[in-house]
Amino acid sequence: MNMLSIDINCQQNDFSLSITKDLQLSGILGVLGHSGSGKTTLLKTIAGLKTQAIGKLTFNNIVLMNSELNTFIPCEQRQISLVFQEGRLFPHLNVLENLNFAHKRCQSPSLNLTEIIELTEISHLINKKVTEISGGEKQRVALARAILAEPKLLLLDEPLSALDQNSKTALIQLLKKVHSQLSIPMIYVSHNIDEIQQLADDLLVLKSGKVFHYGPVHQVIHQLNNSGLIPQQTSLCLPILSTDEQHGLHRLQVTDQQIILLPTENTNLSQDNKSVRCFIFASDISLAVQEPSQSSIINQLKAQILAITTDKHQTLVTLQCGKHNFFASISLFSLERLQLQQNQWVFMQFKAGAVRTLKGETRVNNG
Amino acid sequence: MDDFSNDSLALITTLKMAGVTTLFLLLIGTPLAWALAKMKSRFKVVVEAIVALPLVLPPTVLGFYLLLAFSPQSLPGKLWQQATGQQLAFSFSAIVIGSILYSLPFVVQPLQRAFEQLGEDILEAGAVLGAGPIDRFIHLVLPMTKASFITAASLGFAHTVGEFGVVLMIGGNIPGETRVLSIALFDHVEAFNYGQAHLLAAGLIIASLILLSLIYLINHQPAANKSSLRGNKQ
Repeated sequence: MNMLSIDINCQQNDFSLSITKDLQLSGILGVLGHSGSGKTTLLKTIAGLKTQAIGKLTFNNIVLMNSELNTFIPCEQRQISLVFQEGRLFPHLNVLENLNFAHKRCQSPSLNLTEIIELTEISHLINKKVTEISGGEKQRVALARAILAEPKLLLLDEPLSALDQNSKTALIQLLKKVHSQLSIPMIYVSHNIDEIQQLADDLLVLKSGKVFHYGPVHQVIHQLNNSGLIPQQTSLCLPILSTDEQHGLHRLQVTDQQIILLPTENTNLSQDNKSVRCFIFASDISLAVQEPSQSSIINQLKAQILAITTDKHQTLVTLQCGKHNFFASISLFSLERLQLQQNQWVFMQFKAGAVRTLKGETRVNNG
Repeated sequence: MDDFSNDSLALITTLKMAGVTTLFLLLIGTPLAWALAKMKSRFKVVVEAIVALPLVLPPTVLGFYLLLAFSPQSLPGKLWQQATGQQLAFSFSAIVIGSILYSLPFVVQPLQRAFEQLGEDILEAGAVLGAGPIDRFIHLVLPMTKASFITAASLGFAHTVGEFGVVLMIGGNIPGETRVLSIALFDHVEAFNYGQAHLLAAGLIIASLILLSLIYLINHQPAANKSSLRGNKQ
């Protein structure tokens, strides 16, 4: 188990980052926050690019920084790599030379350059100038370059923010693949909850330079439903039972008896995907007291109300279905009309199209 | 010696002075330009002003104070004499030191601009891939600012060739030691030897023109490279 222990303070003009947290990096850790919440400052401090930070930072019992003892391991000796938002490829080198720059400086290379080029799907780019390739391709090269440095920890600072939706989806798939094949611990920073929902196992939420929430990703997303930071939603990771090719629907298991139908065109799953991460906006789920029949709304789940919170004219209802929590947003008017109460059993309804993976859009080609 | 071999000797002295000066200017100017580009202290403007002084001062002002400093009675001159056994004033070393100071802004300023334009981003990218400071300088900064180094060296060289006042003040007019082209030209004019003066003057104009054209040619080429750097940042 990789353990990153953070106890740092970083003062910068009128902004201060103050974090004390032990982070277990078993999979991918997502870091979510608005701009100015301290995400990038945190990453740069971990990477060793912020020399003004004070406090203590250890990774797997190696002290990276301890300002009391005047210990500061320089960035280039930390074996922590960072993929920047804008790629930052070296413009005087071509793609292959950019990769070699990292590979040559690796202290004990164990990865094969060709294998990483194939893994990141950039074989066709290696002889090109970095100015000749697209934004998505640049980020692939930047990712390959960071991997070739063979870091003990890989940091990603909003690597998708400058990309179009198709490149984003493709790169997320690539990041999943890289993580499952190389099992490098990763910290993925973004202001976009959809990306994090797809990638992260754990989620750290920063607000004004402080830790706001930390925990397993779906749990933290649900905790954020009352914060106003993200759209209210249900975040799920469900096993795929089967796929109905004729109707273009995946059957996802919620409980032993109940399933959710997800349009196959909302996803771009490969054959070996056994489960799918999806989310449903709270505003897309409606509630009925009696079992609805003869409706075009194909997803209907029986669930028990756990909690009801009201904010002005809107109500957020927390429900339990099997071991999963669901969130439905209904009007105060509906709440009173249906006389909903805690522990009551109700039926949740939502269209198949309301089950989202990455923001609605689909990939043009399934290559 | 006839005028022609005298002038050839002056040409060799000039090239030697400019070459040695340019070498020292790059050795001194590069770290100075780097420090200025990275400096955030408010004393930065003071250092920048000192470096830029030779741009505005009459060369004779610099030459006058250097002459005082180089004399065997003053401390720098005395130390030099103790260390080398030779007098500093009116020597080849003196005109090289004078030229280094006089041409310093022509080397420091283009390098400083180049280092500032390069910014921190690329260096950070190098650091997270395991490249230390010297490694980053050699493999990232140097190739990306190559054009500015060529510009700086050429400007430093050309400006040193064209120098007159400082050399006159601290070098005197010793053939083979401190008699450079600009001084030889002055001598010809004083002696109404206009034919030989034309040869030197026109020669200097043509040589400078060629050198400057080459600098501009080099500076136009990497324009594509520079814009690509910006494109990369988008």
